[in-house]
This record gives sequence, structure tokens and C-alpha cells, in this order.
Amino acid sequence: MSVVAETQHVVRRRRFDTDDRWMISLVVLLVAELLYFNFGISTFWGGGWGTSYSFLGYGESFLFTSMIALGVMFVIFTGDIDLSVGYMAAFAGIMMAEFHIGGMNIWIATVLSIALCAVIGLIQGLVITYFKLESLLVTLAGGFILNSAAVAWEGPVPPYGFPHSYDSALGSGDISGTIQIPNQLIVFAVLAVIATLVVHRTRFGRQLVLVGHNRQAAAYAGVRVSATRVKAFVLSATFSAVAGMCIAANYGTARDDLAPTLLLTAITCVVLGGVDIFGGGGRVPGVIIATFVMGWLAPGLLQDNVNDTWATLIAPGTLLLAALTIKGIVDRRQGVSFRAKTLARFGPGSPTSAHADAGDAPGTGAT
Amino acid sequence: MSVIVKRARAAAALASDRTAEEYAPARYEARTITKSFGGANALTGASVTIEPGEIHTLVGENGAGKSTMLKVMAGIHPQDSGDLVLNGTHLRGLTPRTAIGHGIYLVPQEPSLMLTLSALENLFVGIIPRGSMAFSVDWKAMESSAGAYFQQVGLHIDPWAPASQLSIAEQQLLECARALAHRCNVIFFDEPTSPLTAREADVLFELMRRLRERNFTIAFISHRLEEVLAISDRITVLRDSRVVAHFDNPKQTSHRQLVEAMVGHEIAVRQRRQRDLSGAEAVLELKDLGAPDGAFADISFMARRGEVLGLAGLVGSGRTETAESVFGMRRASGTVLLAGKPYAHRSPSSSIESGLIYLPEDRGHNGVFANVEVVRNITAAFVPHLPKRGQLLHPRAEVEVAEKAARRTRVVAPSLDVPMKALSGGNQQRAMFARWLLAEPKVAIFDEPTRGVDVGAKVDIYGIIDTISDSGVAVVMISSELEELVLLCDRVLAIYEGRIVGEVTGDEITLERLGAMVVGGGASERD
Repeated sequence: MSVVAETQHVVRRRRFDTDDRWMISLVVLLVAELLYFNFGISTFWGGGWGTSYSFLGYGESFLFTSMIALGVMFVIFTGDIDLSVGYMAAFAGIMMAEFHIGGMNIWIATVLSIALCAVIGLIQGLVITYFKLESLLVTLAGGFILNSAAVAWEGPVPPYGFPHSYDSALGSGDISGTIQIPNQLIVFAVLAVIATLVVHRTRFGRQLVLVGHNRQAAAYAGVRVSATRVKAFVLSATFSAVAGMCIAANYGTARDDLAPTLLLTAITCVVLGGVDIFGGGGRVPGVIIATFVMGWLAPGLLQDNVNDTWATLIAPGTLLLAALTIKGIVDRRQGVSFRAKTLARFGPGSPTSAHADAGDAPGTGAT
Repeated sequence: MSVIVKRARAAAALASDRTAEEYAPARYEARTITKSFGGANALTGASVTIEPGEIHTLVGENGAGKSTMLKVMAGIHPQDSGDLVLNGTHLRGLTPRTAIGHGIYLVPQEPSLMLTLSALENLFVGIIPRGSMAFSVDWKAMESSAGAYFQQVGLHIDPWAPASQLSIAEQQLLECARALAHRCNVIFFDEPTSPLTAREADVLFELMRRLRERNFTIAFISHRLEEVLAISDRITVLRDSRVVAHFDNPKQTSHRQLVEAMVGHEIAVRQRRQRDLSGAEAVLELKDLGAPDGAFADISFMARRGEVLGLAGLVGSGRTETAESVFGMRRASGTVLLAGKPYAHRSPSSSIESGLIYLPEDRGHNGVFANVEVVRNITAAFVPHLPKRGQLLHPRAEVEVAEKAARRTRVVAPSLDVPMKALSGGNQQRAMFARWLLAEPKVAIFDEPTRGVDVGAKVDIYGIIDTISDSGVAVVMISSELEELVLLCDRVLAIYEGRIVGEVTGDEITLERLGAMVVGGGASERD
């Protein structure tokens, strides 16, 4: 390389990188899915755009899962995992319902429940970072505790009986017009915009992503690693709690039985959306698109008279596996192997091993 | 009966000392090898021949293709075109496994041992002798023959110790022992000495010389040109993926000739700067700093405005630990004064805010975000001050900030949007300097700033250190390369086993003096 070349460098316009290409593929997949259902199933579009049976109406069956996906996504971005999200949503709904039955205004109960869930998320995050425990295990335990607490609190009969206005506002209601837009879609859209901006356009989001890419390097660059991780757990719990409210409103009763499905589907959406399960890589819009790909898949297939198990379990599983395989191949071409990532995450000298204690040295902590 | 026979046979096979002699002396040729990675040529028609009984060294700047050459020859990367010829036989479709079958072994830059397994298991991995029962292992045969291999490489360790407990130097020796256990007589060393102290490197060189006497075929990569000239029988220089020069007689070759072949043009010889800074105010002061684990103790010194203060010491002497304690990555007792004011409750974020920065030693783990764009790597420590428009970050303004910093440190990249891993070591380090200059430091601690970078980047880094110290930044420079301390520093402190053992200023800073001080001897007492 000549001396002249050494002194110059160029910032070219950004080309499509792997994340961009992944998102484009997801959009293509979504369009293909909708086209297939459109031509394959006469009932999929219902009576057309204008009716309450339009495909947007299917949102009621999956948008709360999408909200949870957005929440757990924050945690996955930092390289941690939150397995308590489904139980958190269920617990939030039951808490809100019990407060309401106890005589509290339902909206105050809603806000209070979401706030308390945020505190639970904070506690989980603090336990994980302060005691340097694996998030997988702590949130697994947290999920069990929340589940038991929810079941114990609700007693033999799940709480029900919310005002109609509440069911409509967060549940099955919609905004009428040329196109009927479900209220839940509005709630989700607001959360989606917030999540996108927070991750990609705020200082906190930048630190979130850096922590996910390399915890050690982030600590040396002055990022408060533990604080960032804890905030992600708080966001995860908050988003799950909002989803819990939507579930309660949608079914007219707080349910504790949905939790495991919610968790697995949410994580599937995040990974299908292109977020690296080891942290760092990925884009929020990808996750948003992926939730719709996943969301419309089951109802569409069911309408297509596909067997129930196939539609709800095998098809999403196959989709995820196919996506991961393709992503693995792409990553390998880029010189990033799954094995290398696993070693970087869990192997000696990784952020979770004892060598990395310096990364959470005094002052980098959340306190 | 058969059990005993089997075991005896296994033991005999393992213990035999016929490693190299099992093969004919190996002449290994790589002919016009071309290899590209995603469009970028790593090797273009490069040829190397390694003769038995010689130590053949490949030198070149980072990204010149040295490592790729050895990796192709060891079957790790398949070549796009060209031939590999071992004693006249063409080797096709070489993989690491078949390479070992042909007696070719690459000791990688980072030892690739299984750290949770014992040294013994690592030694025999792939050829573990079977025991008397199905799926059992003949531990006795392994143990009885391991000693011979350890002895051949001069390794004195407990064979049952997990590899993670070995030092880097021992891990490298274990890699060599593994090569011998696998009957290899073509052994490649990919930059083995960069993480080693001078003494450990000498042990390794001694081993390489012994293997040469046994007619082994040895290739070696190093950035330390003094050692290259001392140990090599022949030197091949690569530049921009091509072989550009051969030196058949290293004893008659000068350091300067080698460097000019590597960079492709003449270089200016650097002169020591003569400055008197005794009157400048102290901006960083350490008083009785000590580590709770005893890694260092009673560390007291100060750094003046505009001064370049060297910290000389061996790896493990406590120099990095001291620096990290000042920066806030580790706890320590004692006092740190920053611009005269006590600085307690240290953390990296508050250090950066108050103008104290630290460039970590281990760039790969603690410095770069390999998969993140260069822009964001440069602004990583600048996140709290990133330009905003309204409540949101302003990406275009961020790129401008990063671009300006990158230009100051002469980062060469196809675009600042490529991931950091696409850059050579030298350019990654230039980007790291860009990151830390953005923080507008008053005190800058650079830990091994030129480790694993090419000659061009080294010159640039020295230039940056000159410039910022002239502008009043106090630079604390930690380095194992005593030459660069001699070139750059106004004053040098030597750390040995966690304590400061000497201090030299101005013309007292000589290689001999520093060399004696870092091993704890010959120091002038501090006043």
C-alpha cells in the first residue's frame, strides 16, 4: 500500500449489509405469505378490507405476543435472556384484575400493575448483575415464582369481569373507518416505534447494542455495563406487563395458562427477526416484521384447513429452523461461526466467565 | 494375555522417540498460491520453499499474507489455486487432519488447546490410545509416554493440570509437544512470540534450534525483527499478498533492509526527542496504590503535563493491573490525584469524563467490537456526547465526528461502515486511537499500543503520541518493546513483581539499562 493510500480514506454510502438483507428477506416472506393466503383461501381477507374480519383482525390472536417479543428483544440485544416474560404477562393481568376486583379504578390498577412489574424486572436484573448469575437461570426461577404467585393469588377461578370499555380499549375493539384498525394494533404500533427509536436512535440503545457485542470492550469504553443490562430487564418486564393487560382485556379474564406459549413464540419472533441470540446484532424492524410473519402463519394455515398441530407448532418451528440454518450459513460466509460465538459467550475468557469480573468492577455497576 | 500385549504395544508406540526420523526429511513447497477472502486477495501467486533443517521466517506488515500462507500450507484454508508439494508429492484437498497425517503441524497464534482438559489429554487428542475395554482409555500408556514429549520441548508441568492453568508460554510448548506426539516434522509457528516475555521467547527459540538440529522443517512468523534476524536461516518478505523479497543470509541483513522490503519504500530513522519537562505540573499522581490480590503494591509516581512516561515491565509484572486500577476497572487501595484533586470511586465512565483514558492491552477482547461498524467503534467511548437532533441521535453528524477522528489517526478503510474485523490490526489500532482522542484526554494511558501492528501503523502511533504530548497530554506508555520506550519516553519507570524498582530520565534511558531494570536488577535507586 502506497503512502498516498495510507493518508486517505473514504466513507462511501452504506451498502446493504447482512441485517438489511435479512429484513428484505423477511418482507418478501411476509408478502409471499399474504399472497398465498389471499389466493389460496377465500375467507382470509374476510369480507374485504372494510370488515372486522379483515386480516388485520387476526391481530387479536398474536399482537400481545408481538409486544412481549419487543420486550424480550431488549434483553437479547444485551446478550442475556429473559425466560420470565410469559409469566410476567400472566402475573400482570392477574394483579390488575385482583386490584380491580378489590375496588380500584381499572386504569389505575393497570398503571400500577405495569409499574410493579417493572420493579420485578428491576429486581431480576439487579440479582443477575450484582451476584453475577446467569440470566437464563435467574429468569427461569423468576418465572416459576411469578407463576406460583399468580396461581395462588387468583384462587380456583381466574378473575374476570372488566368494564366493557376496558375490554374494548385494549382487547377486541377497533377504530372504524375505511379500514378497521384494531386498538391492539395501535398499542403495538406505539410500542414498536418506541422500541425502534430507543434501540437505534438513543444513547442508551447504542450502549445496549455495544454491551451485546462485547461486554468487556463496552466496559473499557466507559459503558455502564450492569446498569445497561438492568435497564433491559426493566423494559422487558414493562412490555410484558402491557401485553398482559391486552391479554386480560382480549379474553375478558386474566389467564395464567398462556405463559409458556407466549415465551417461546416471543423468542422465536426475536430470533426470526434477525436479532443475534448471543447479543448485539440485529434490527428492531426485523423483529416487528417477524412477529407478523409468525402471527399470520397460524390463523392462515388454520383457515387453509391445515391440521391444528401443524399450523400452531410444526410450521413455526420449521420456519425458525430454516431461518436459523440460512442465517448460520450467511454468518459462516462472513467468518462468524456459531461455535466461535458460543465460545466467545460461554468459553474461557468470555464475559460470563470468572476472568471477566473486571468488566463489572466498582463503578461500572448499576448503583 | 492379549490385553497386556495391546497395552505394551500402545505404550511402545507412544513412547518411541522416532518422531521426525519416522519421516524422510521434508522439503515443503508452496507454488504460486493464490487465495482470496470475499474478494480481497490474501495471497497472489506466492511461492515459498521450506527446506529440512532450516528455520524459515515469513515477515511482512499486517495483512501481507504471512499467516494465510502458513494456514494454507497447514490445510486450514484451501487455496484457490497453486500447488502444495511435499517431497515431490502433490498434496490435494489438504485439511488440518490430513496435514497432520503428512507430518505438518501449525502452532497457531492463540494456542488452541481445550482449556478444561488436562495437559495429557491435550497432548494426545486425536490419537488417544484405547484401553483394554471398549470405549476405555489407556491412561497409563498416555502418562508413561507423555514425559518424553514434555522433556523434548522442555516443559515441566503436571500432566494432569488443566490446560487453563498453564501460562501462554507453556501452552505454546504444549502445542509443540502435541506436534511431536502426532509425529509431525514440519512445524509452523504463527507469531508465537508476541505474547511472550523475552525470557520465554528465548526458551521457545532454544526449542526451535534443537528441532532444527534434528532436521525438522520449521517456518516462523514474527513482527520482532531483531529476533527474526537472530534465529532465521532464511527470510521471505511478503507485501500486499505477494512475495517481494528473499534474504538467504540473515546474518548479513540489516534491520533497515528488512523494514524497507516490508513497507516498500525507504523509512526515516526516528530520533529521540530531548525535552526538559521537570517544571511542568503533575496531572496524574499515584500514592501507595496497592492491589487487594497483591498484584502490585506501594506504587507511587506522577506524570507531568506533556510528558511521555514509560512503564517498563515484564508481562505479569503488575503494570497493566496498576493502569486498570487508575482507570477504574479494578479495585485498589491508595490514592490517585487527577490534576491535583483526589479521585476516589474510580470507574471507566467517570475517568473518561474527567479526561483520563486507557487503551487496553488486549485489543481483540477488550478494545474492538469486531462485528460493529468502524464508525461506532470510534464513537464507542463518546456515546454520552454523541450529537443529537431533538431527543434522537443524529447518525450523519456522528459519521462526521468519527470521520474527523479517523483522519487524525490515518485510519485506512474501504469505508467507515464496514465492520471492524474487516480492518487489519494496524488500522484497528488506529481506529482505537481515534476513539480515545475523541475523549479529549488530559491523561492518556496506552497499554502496549503497538502490539500486533505493522511498521506503518507503528510510525503513525508514535506520531500521535508525539503530537498529543506536545499539546499537553500526559502520556503513560506501557510497553514490552523496550526500543520504543527508549525512542518515545521522557522518563521511564520499571515495574518488577508489582513494585517500582527504578526510574531513568532523558539520556539515561537506554536499552541495556531498561533490560536490566525490568528483570529486577541493575536499577538506579529512585530518589
